[in-house]
Amino acid sequence: MYRLLRSAFVALGLAALVLPGGLDAQLREIVTKSVAASSSGASLALTFADDVDFELSFDGGTVYLDGEPIGTYERGSELDTAWRSLLGEAMALENGALAERLVAWEGPDGSSDGDVARAVDAALEEALQVALQDAPDEAPQVSVSDERTLARVLLGSVGRLSLLEEALEGVSSDLRVHVGEDVVIPEGSVVDGSMVVIDGTLRVGGEIRGDVVVVDGAIEVLESGVIDGEARVADARVLRNVGTIRGGLVDVLEEEREVEEEVRERLREEIRAEIRRDLRNEIRQVTRMEHDDGFSIMTPFHAVMRGVGGVVEKMVMIFILGLVGAGFLAFAGENMETIAETARRSPGRAAMVGLAGSFLLIPVWILGLIALLVSIVGIPVAIAWAPLFPVAAGLAALLGYLAVAQNTGEWLADSSFPWTGWIRKSNPIFTLVGGLVGLALAFMVGHLISILPFLGFIGNLLFAAGFIITIAAIQIGFGAVLLTRGGRRKEYYAAYDPDAAWEAAMSVDVEEEDDSPDTGVGGVDTGKGEDDA
Amino acid sequence: MRSNLIAVAAALLVVPLGADAQSWKTVTMSQRLGGEDDLRVSVRYGAGLFSIRSADGGLLYRMNLEYDEDRFEPVAEFSGNRLELGVETRRRGLDIDSDEAGELELELARGIPMDLDLEFGAVRADLDLGGLALTDLDLSTGASESEVDVSEPNPSRLETARFEVGAAEFTARNLGNLNADRIEVDAGVGSITLGLEGRWQRDAEVDIDMGLGSLELRIPEGLGVRLRKDSFLTSLDSQGLVKRGDVYESLDWDRADRRVTIEIDAAFGSISVVWVN
Repeated sequence: MYRLLRSAFVALGLAALVLPGGLDAQLREIVTKSVAASSSGASLALTFADDVDFELSFDGGTVYLDGEPIGTYERGSELDTAWRSLLGEAMALENGALAERLVAWEGPDGSSDGDVARAVDAALEEALQVALQDAPDEAPQVSVSDERTLARVLLGSVGRLSLLEEALEGVSSDLRVHVGEDVVIPEGSVVDGSMVVIDGTLRVGGEIRGDVVVVDGAIEVLESGVIDGEARVADARVLRNVGTIRGGLVDVLEEEREVEEEVRERLREEIRAEIRRDLRNEIRQVTRMEHDDGFSIMTPFHAVMRGVGGVVEKMVMIFILGLVGAGFLAFAGENMETIAETARRSPGRAAMVGLAGSFLLIPVWILGLIALLVSIVGIPVAIAWAPLFPVAAGLAALLGYLAVAQNTGEWLADSSFPWTGWIRKSNPIFTLVGGLVGLALAFMVGHLISILPFLGFIGNLLFAAGFIITIAAIQIGFGAVLLTRGGRRKEYYAAYDPDAAWEAAMSVDVEEEDDSPDTGVGGVDTGKGEDDA
Repeated sequence: MRSNLIAVAAALLVVPLGADAQSWKTVTMSQRLGGEDDLRVSVRYGAGLFSIRSADGGLLYRMNLEYDEDRFEPVAEFSGNRLELGVETRRRGLDIDSDEAGELELELARGIPMDLDLEFGAVRADLDLGGLALTDLDLSTGASESEVDVSEPNPSRLETARFEVGAAEFTARNLGNLNADRIEVDAGVGSITLGLEGRWQRDAEVDIDMGLGSLELRIPEGLGVRLRKDSFLTSLDSQGLVKRGDVYESLDWDRADRRVTIEIDAAFGSISVVWVN
């Protein structure tokens, strides 16, 4: 198929080269065309192949030829209408068809603009028919095997013209062209001039006094054969070359083949590069899969390191929180005790208050900020409020958590667990650290279990439990801090102390008796009470 | 469309006094090929209707233009291998009295290797690049409604095709026929539809930079697609794609004959993938 197409390309190119005047030799070749029309006029501008310009325009009642007035016309006259009609057709025509139509045009007879119409007609014919005088005298001899071959030639593409130009470069114009037929130059015969064979086989037994061009065919130079000039082959085979080619054998497509080979090599290189790239990607993917799926040799060590690292991390955290807690005990021990006691005695209430407080933190912060910013006096306070409020809230949560940890430590000290013997209830530091260990125990066990294979689910459950315990401890502790106003109010845990409650109740009644002389009955009752007590 | 404009032009030619005082002018310009090996074509058009297609009959170009000759003048310059076409403004300033737009129909040489640079403003463009042998393509449009179709495979290899779209509705079809190594789309605000149909002759990259708007990727079945997205407040409807790491891939990515890697950098908007037969 490719060869067929190539043949057609080449043949058409040769036909175009050797038959230039056959189709429109009477008319000049139009290279550019410009047709313009507006309400004021209509013009035609042409440029011919020999770079000659031609312009004929009807503009504002005057006819111009190459810018020079050659007559006048009336707008809307027969001549004006005929001219516009001609240009209307010219818009859709090109080169030969356009030239033919322009030459064929005749102005309206008998009109008032008759002289001008004839001048326009003459100008068109003169401009377009000059080529007739310049037509070449000698034309190549063309021999075509049949009409189908000629049709194939004519239906080809002009895309291979450059190849033909190259093949025919320097070849004399005295050509014999054979398309689609075999040619034999018998021994003893002489051919004057060059010879072109397209889609056929040339057998040379005699002498050719010129060049030979064979396209898409074959050449055979017999022992007696002589070619005075070059033998050029384009996409053609050399069947035998035992004669004499004085100008040498030239393969016109050699350079093209080299280019094709370069392209092929480049493609091969690109494919190689792509394969390398794909391989690298696959290796990366495999490596990533090994890492993600846990099947590499190093995976167990990763698990141990992760597990131990998690435990160490929690121990460091316990140590830091223990130091902070010790600070609280040293400087606000009573407050912390009050908070711890409230959390112990009213854990549910403290948790609810802590939860509500957590939700209200941000609204309170924003509202407080707005309330302070509306007044000039409040602006400096707002500047402090903005960072200090979150810090205070964080400290409150931390204090609450430590207080709950202390309760937890005391509970562990009272427990019978064998590993809690080191927690001495008499020392609040010990109970605090013990409580912190207790609260973080689920995390630490989870980390240790995650070291073992196939127990990840249990480890995750422990992490979830540790998370819930931590959140609960923070909420209860934070609520206790809020309830006790930072450990300054003891109502909540004092209210649950029966002795203190009793004493408080007794003292209230005594005061009532002293302060209310009208309530003698009450005073009698109270006295009985005291006696009972 | 071309026949319409010619018919209008012919009517204007035949009825010269029917035209109003708006100085509308119709011009048809053409030039034959003169053995050019390659071309560098630049087209500038401000506002109106605009169309491009390949020319038949050994023409270098054919331009049918309707314009207001008081405001614009046509440009058709050919020197060496450089061809400049379009219109340029004759007078400066804002024409608030003009409510009609011109029209430019352009046909360019078929099969001649060509660097094509298109720049137009507020136009409604209908571009068929099929049949053109594009070796480089730059398309820049302002506030427009543009449709680009590559109806036939590009016989030349195109290194990079660049589409710079301002505030526009932009639709491209058969981008595979561009025969491009890389397609870049820089879109400002608007609705973008990119059709990756056509014959892909090699693996390619598509780089999309989108500001605000919607992007629809029309992907033919059988084409391997890898999509990487770097976006902010942009939704992605990635039907038919599976996420692997930070990229989305078509199911047949590994075994596809041709693969297209799409990089999307989008700000606000939506991205949707539509598979077509």
